[in-house]
Amino acid sequence: MSFNPLEQRGIPLDRQLRNWRELDVEPVDPDHGDPYTRCRVITMNGIEVEAILFSHQLARHCPDPEVKRQLARTRYIEAQQQKVVNWLLPGVASVLETTIAYEQVAVDLTAWVARMEPDPYLQQAYQFGVLEDFDHLYRYANLYEMIEHRKAEAIVDQLTEVMPGRPTKYHHRDPVDNVRDPYDRTRTDPLSKLHALTIMSTEQQTMNFYMNVGPTYMEPIARRLYQEIGLIEEEHVTHYESLVDPGETWWEQLVNHEYNECYLYHSFMEQESDPKVKAVWELHLNMELEHLHVACDLMRRHDGREPEEVLAPELPPVMTFEPNKAYLRELLATQMDLTTLGAGYVRDAHERFEKLQEAIHGGEAPPSEQVIDEHREMFGREYRLETEGEHPDPAMRQG
Amino acid sequence: MSDTGAGGTRTPHAGDDAAADDNVVDLLMRQHGDIRNLFDEVETTSGDARRDAFRRLVRLLAVHETAEEEVVHPFARRNVTGGEQVVAERLEEERLAKETLAELDGMDPEDPGFLPKLLLLRTDVQKHARAEERYEFTHILRTADPAGLAAMAKAVKAAEATAPTHPHPGVESGAANLAAGPLAALMDRTRDAVRKAMGGS
Repeated sequence: MSFNPLEQRGIPLDRQLRNWRELDVEPVDPDHGDPYTRCRVITMNGIEVEAILFSHQLARHCPDPEVKRQLARTRYIEAQQQKVVNWLLPGVASVLETTIAYEQVAVDLTAWVARMEPDPYLQQAYQFGVLEDFDHLYRYANLYEMIEHRKAEAIVDQLTEVMPGRPTKYHHRDPVDNVRDPYDRTRTDPLSKLHALTIMSTEQQTMNFYMNVGPTYMEPIARRLYQEIGLIEEEHVTHYESLVDPGETWWEQLVNHEYNECYLYHSFMEQESDPKVKAVWELHLNMELEHLHVACDLMRRHDGREPEEVLAPELPPVMTFEPNKAYLRELLATQMDLTTLGAGYVRDAHERFEKLQEAIHGGEAPPSEQVIDEHREMFGREYRLETEGEHPDPAMRQG
Repeated sequence: MSDTGAGGTRTPHAGDDAAADDNVVDLLMRQHGDIRNLFDEVETTSGDARRDAFRRLVRLLAVHETAEEEVVHPFARRNVTGGEQVVAERLEEERLAKETLAELDGMDPEDPGFLPKLLLLRTDVQKHARAEERYEFTHILRTADPAGLAAMAKAVKAAEATAPTHPHPGVESGAANLAAGPLAALMDRTRDAVRKAMGGS
């Protein structure tokens, strides 16, 4: 369906405020819901959190009080949107359950973006990153069975496989090697801008989530694993945010943010299986259309340019949550041993990488290795969910 | 039956891992997961497999709740500030769940009314379990010393032993069910075992 958000009008801004009753949404069922519904909720929460944080940063750089007030008006509604979206998550879910859902998002969203990304350099960045989130899912799944006696397949269903990716211990790189080269805003496909913004936002939310919930655990291995993976999420935010052209003006960035929210709400509305959640996506799309118009007006006024110059002529094909098993297996077979060097990728453990590795591990097995060892001690096996056969990398198969 | 297929690894049941079980809270949290696993199994099976899974669920719930009432709640009541109120709320949740459980226990799992009632029970049990973890267990960990946590774990293990919740393919006959006895008798036996393990108090 062709849909151009620039040509649509949504709900007028002064009619978007919701009262407490309207904000009090019923959460999704933790045991019987579609796992991809929960993935869409987690994704949109990350997108709304980024919208709020970006708007705050913009306001802090904005000398014009009238513009500050305009930003505050939209931002308040965005804060309500975030409350509604994230409050769709059920209170009976444990933090670890939600964590595993976050990693399912990171795996299936990043894999889908990698498959669809037209620019080969950007595609490589997503392919590189997804094998790390894939491994995080496996480590947390083993922790989950130890603490709650539950298998991660009760959360991810049979949609996403759970097995080792690029081992987490190798994700700790010298920080300078996490910085990528940006796309060129004047030449890149508009879809590439949306991909970068989306993955940056979801990884940022994952970073924020782990850095805050990690210390709520009492089990020493859980505390340590959240600390280790939380630190890697910071590397991922560095990795993905550096893909965005820093030459985009503040107003251009604002328009891109609002446009991306329209794109994602529209995408998720198209594929949502839960009618109550679908109604939220539809309502929020109708709000975002208006936020986009406000942003476009600001861009015209302050940049003296038309938003059409930087946006796609119509929305790209919908961003879709679906299994990516074959694609991930191909990456597992070919890209496990990659690391970064400068803004590129190499197969050798270079000097700078080795140096950081030595310093951070301090001669011990990191928490991500300990969790698997402790799980083996407890159950005499690891937890894996290999629905399509054994691991594509012979070295990663269970003995 | 409790094989999960893909991985070929059996869903863990209470106590059948190599954990030290020297901390009552860790043990009870794993039992919460076991209970949830059994709900999954009842929901996804039918016929005799469902009957069997439901028997095991009933037993584990009975054992788990009785052990909590005998071991954990009294500790919280005595040692946690505001413990009286926290425990009263948990007991009320347990009372409601037991009523539903007793109703289900008298039904044929193939009865069309069975599954909707089971889902209601599941929701209540899950809320109750999380409330315990957040409002009661946290305080117990803060108040009890390692020896106390281990002693309480031992009592819960003794309760578990009175009604094994493992599937016994082939043996899971009427005779085995009869041996486990009706719900109330099972709870009584569990209570006796727990009290014995706690030193006859």
